[in-house]
Amino acid sequence: MKRVAGVWMSVAAAAVLLLAVSPRAILGAGGRAPQAETPGDQDLAIIVNQSNPVENLSMQELRTVFLGERSHWPNGRRITLVMMEPGFAERKAVLRDIYHMNESDFSRHFLQGLFTGEVFVSPKTLATPVGVRKFVFNVPGAIGYVRASDVDDTVKVIRIEGHLPDDKNYGLRIQAHPAK
Amino acid sequence: MKHHISRVARDSVRKTARLIDRFLHEVSRYSTALLLLMVFCVESGVVIFVIRDLRSADREVQRIYAGSVLGLRGIGELQYQAQETRRSTLYALTTNDSNLQVEYADQSRAADRRVTEGINDYLAHARMQREVDVGKRLQGDWSAYLKVRDEVLASILEGSTKEAVDFDLHGGVPSFDRVRQDLEEVKRLYDEQASERLAIVDESSRRSAIRLVGVLCFTLLFVSVSVWAIQKSRMLSALKLAKLQMDFVASVSHELRTPLAVISAAAQNIADGVVDEKDQLAKYGGVIRSHTRQLNELVNQILSFASTKAGRAHYFLRPLQVSRLIDTVLHNTREVVKEAGFVVEALVEPDLPEIVGDLSALSQCLQNLIGNAVKYGGNHPRIGLRAFLYKADDPAFEELRVTVEDHGIGIDSSDLPHIFEPFYRSPVVAAAQIHGTGLGLPLAKSIAEAMGGKLSVVSKLAVGSVFTLHLPITAKGNRETETLARDSFIRQ
Repeated sequence: MKRVAGVWMSVAAAAVLLLAVSPRAILGAGGRAPQAETPGDQDLAIIVNQSNPVENLSMQELRTVFLGERSHWPNGRRITLVMMEPGFAERKAVLRDIYHMNESDFSRHFLQGLFTGEVFVSPKTLATPVGVRKFVFNVPGAIGYVRASDVDDTVKVIRIEGHLPDDKNYGLRIQAHPAK
Repeated sequence: MKHHISRVARDSVRKTARLIDRFLHEVSRYSTALLLLMVFCVESGVVIFVIRDLRSADREVQRIYAGSVLGLRGIGELQYQAQETRRSTLYALTTNDSNLQVEYADQSRAADRRVTEGINDYLAHARMQREVDVGKRLQGDWSAYLKVRDEVLASILEGSTKEAVDFDLHGGVPSFDRVRQDLEEVKRLYDEQASERLAIVDESSRRSAIRLVGVLCFTLLFVSVSVWAIQKSRMLSALKLAKLQMDFVASVSHELRTPLAVISAAAQNIADGVVDEKDQLAKYGGVIRSHTRQLNELVNQILSFASTKAGRAHYFLRPLQVSRLIDTVLHNTREVVKEAGFVVEALVEPDLPEIVGDLSALSQCLQNLIGNAVKYGGNHPRIGLRAFLYKADDPAFEELRVTVEDHGIGIDSSDLPHIFEPFYRSPVVAAAQIHGTGLGLPLAKSIAEAMGGKLSVVSKLAVGSVFTLHLPITAKGNRETETLARDSFIRQ
């Protein structure tokens, strides 16, 4: 009897610990399979120029834009895609969560797409989050990504699936310790 | 009619000349000090004017510096930053590296912020309507250029170089040229303002120089006239003194000759045996004695005045009863008063304190006053002699006063300032053939002052005069003062 009670208490303690560390891991995000969040993870903000009328994109629309399969915004401005240089955690998160590709698939996609005419936009590559932010500030049709903590009022953060960074169901996250 | 006009003109000239002489006479008293004071005042005025003009010019120069030089510097900086805005934008065209392009875009935006701030600052300090108009036009043209610049930058960053060049050629170049022209106009405005203010400074300094020269000329003229006036007044004073001395000699000669003639005639009659009866001899003797005394008094008076002027008058100061002084005066003037048919009504306040003075000198002083009262007493042969203690709130101002009052012809107000001047005789008195030397009152005044007091007069024409001898009193019981006074000796 004492042994059964000890097992139940161990299970209850483990559940409490799990809830305390990451409630979002249990609740999930964006209707997709919940991801495990570890301490130090940060949300990734998708930013556009302040003059851009777009406020919200679905994950599918976002993927279409980032894949370069869409050339203009609803206001007629040409879409300019801004990426960070390889190696940045932000880029890794985008490749993982939006493109579902690795670096070589990404390069191949754009080389092939531009050659065949299926891709309209060639991404610009910048070395720093500040550079990304300034680029987006200067180009009315630009879209890029930075850590939520790097956002300022020179750019506009758009909702993804109706959620902004820091919302509990926001789906884009930079992992501090990505799985090997 | 013609004669009448010329007479009126002559009278006016005489009146003016008399006024000038009188003014010069007054001026001669304080001539040097007055001249120095007036020159100092005029020079101070000049210095104040010059300092004021210099400060005004200095302020204007500062305004020019602040308004125009600094303004021009500001516009130069604006021109540089505007060029920097455009230059940085165009630099972005020279590379394909997005990172560098973003850097250039950043530089362009930083420069355009400085230009915008500079234009806003210019508008905030614009005073004239032209400045406001040009400032607003510049603001509008700069905004228009920035819109084009933003499009150019966006195109460059997007990688559309051809589009960027097209935007710049068709929109950027003309709008930037308008901005450049606006900035040139602002510069021209500053230049014009600087020129205007420079002209103001030039005018101010010219005005200042003219004013300085004018005031210096005036000062020179004023000093010359003042020196001339002082010399003239001194000459007039010397002439007046010479005339007074001549009058004095004539008067003294007359005063001496009259009793001498009487004495001589009486002596001649006695010597010739014309007078042989005892009564007649006694009468002649009386006449000779009376005129001899008159001569004696005259000579004594002249000698006393001469001693005073030469600083050889000796006074022996000692405590003195006022009643004794009054008795002595009454005794010495008894015969003169009686002969003239006058009466002296003496009134001495009881228990008067002692004074310190020379009995003989004080007696002489009061005798002169009584002699004058007899001489100028007219038809009212009553002379008041009164001694009393003048009490004041402050014991330090208490004094003994002895007044001699007559009801005679009085003294004209124009003569009052001169009656204590040696040899002065009023024209009215001289015309009335009342004999005198003009020394009695100056001598009395000199004695009063030597005793530590003073002599004052109140008079009204045809009503009479009151002369007051003011003497300091000795505090009762102050033996030390008395002891000192007892042996005091004044040499004047």
